[in-house]
Amino acid sequence: MEERRYRSASGAPIALRRRQHSASCRELAVRGPRLQLRSLSALTSAVWLAAYGLFVLSQNSMVLSAAIFITLIGLIIYLHFVKIDQESLLVIGSLGIQVTSSYASGKESTTFIEMGQVKDVVINEAIHMQKVIYYLCILLQDPGDPQGVSEVVPLFQSSKPRLDCLIEVYKSCQEILEQRKTAPQSS
Amino acid sequence: VLYLIWAYVPETWLFSLGLTYWPQKYWAVALPVYLLVAIGIGYILLFGINMMSTAPLNSTHTITDNYAKKQQQKKFQEEAIPALRDIPISEVNRMFFLPEK
Repeated sequence: MEERRYRSASGAPIALRRRQHSASCRELAVRGPRLQLRSLSALTSAVWLAAYGLFVLSQNSMVLSAAIFITLIGLIIYLHFVKIDQESLLVIGSLGIQVTSSYASGKESTTFIEMGQVKDVVINEAIHMQKVIYYLCILLQDPGDPQGVSEVVPLFQSSKPRLDCLIEVYKSCQEILEQRKTAPQSS
Repeated sequence: VLYLIWAYVPETWLFSLGLTYWPQKYWAVALPVYLLVAIGIGYILLFGINMMSTAPLNSTHTITDNYAKKQQQKKFQEEAIPALRDIPISEVNRMFFLPEK
């Protein structure tokens, strides 16, 4: 099990952790930075000072309680639905690929794709918000056409790693995916 | 030229000539303003249309398109330059990222 530091597409520090559970099973987890205390306190103070300024102007005390509610509920919604702490990829040869996203509030959402549907795992480059980024994606097989791609599932969407991290993940996945070509009868 | 004459000559002179049914003088200023604002918004609109028609990250248009799906395989000839074709993304990835040398 090893952990290495990389950078995301926007410059934030991320860490990649690789674990080999067995010869045909690997887990790769990308962890983004935690919620910083200084940015949280800066935002909270800005909102509360603005609300106090409004209170002084309008003498309406509902503004203060409304600001407190908004801050608390906004923080809870952000931690539960928006802030993703860790995204992990579990590749089990001959069974499938499981993609897990863990949110800051502890919520985890997983997606499982069975190996029969997976055509390949590739690094694709595309235009995203006035930038060209590299991103890892799973190509799903088209059931009617063996050469065609029916769907593209992008991975690591919130902690967009840069190309050096993606190459490591790509090599690990390809080692496992090659095994299914050489041993198709053993499952 | 007709536009300039209509914009500058005062109304009474035009009436004295017998030409009474022209649009109001207000439009002499309003139409150019409309035109310039439309050109300015056109810049922003074009930028927005470009952003909206960019394929999202999970669509197959980032990998292939109709022409690539229907291309025919040409026969391989010795000692000749290989024919131009669209190489599938798996092959390209293997060539770029897998060699260890």
